[in-house]
Amino acid sequence: MGGLSVSALLIRFILGGLAVVASTIVARKLGEKAGGIFAAFPAVFLAALLTAGLDLKGEALVSQSIILSKGAMVGMGINILVAIVAVLLLKKHGWKKGLIEALGCWLAVSIVVVAITVN
Amino acid sequence: MTKDLLLRFLLGGAAVMASYLIIVVSPWEILGGIFAAFPAVMITAVLMAGVTSGTKNAAKIAGGSVYGMIGGVICAATVWLFLKLTHNWPLSMLLGLLFWLISSVMVSTLREKLNIKLFSRKMVLAEARFRHHK
Repeated sequence: MGGLSVSALLIRFILGGLAVVASTIVARKLGEKAGGIFAAFPAVFLAALLTAGLDLKGEALVSQSIILSKGAMVGMGINILVAIVAVLLLKKHGWKKGLIEALGCWLAVSIVVVAITVN
Repeated sequence: MTKDLLLRFLLGGAAVMASYLIIVVSPWEILGGIFAAFPAVMITAVLMAGVTSGTKNAAKIAGGSVYGMIGGVICAATVWLFLKLTHNWPLSMLLGLLFWLISSVMVSTLREKLNIKLFSRKMVLAEARFRHHK
């Protein structure tokens, strides 16, 4: 794992904050479904790419970004599954319990996928 | 209104920042890999919708995020493909963002059209059954 970088922290803070605010504004103007699209703004992925852009240049940046993109495809695949499960759980158990259960589901699926891909 | 948006900005930013901190601080590499794709924005948005407007709207936000997540896969695939083809980093990132928005909206619209079609088919069947009973 790399060291802690202030610029990486700031980029993530700004992108994450803006995505949640955009999701709220779009939900209020166009409805919750449209707001949900912005709730899935790939802030973590883009922040990782931007941070790589600050630290690396040229071919090193391109190859690092290719690795990040591959990982993001798998991660977002898991997130699609979790979002579908979240809808069912939220409707069945209410938002508090449903959200905790959805988080548990995300953790379980991620552990399995990471364990398979690491070994 | 502004205070509410500021709170959401702080929460969303903190959630994404926290997932990065876990990756960096964690002594276990596997935990870093897991949190690299943590859906922090979605969790915060659903949480805030639940607190302010209840389960129904929180579930709608989660439902909408499915389309955004499909767009997310397309975004990452676009960045990957264009980096391989052009080796142009800014262009690949811009195209990734553009494809994320277009594909998310397209999937959401397609789903809605499909729902309307299914609904009208059900209505036709119900009407036919009603006439038959008459």
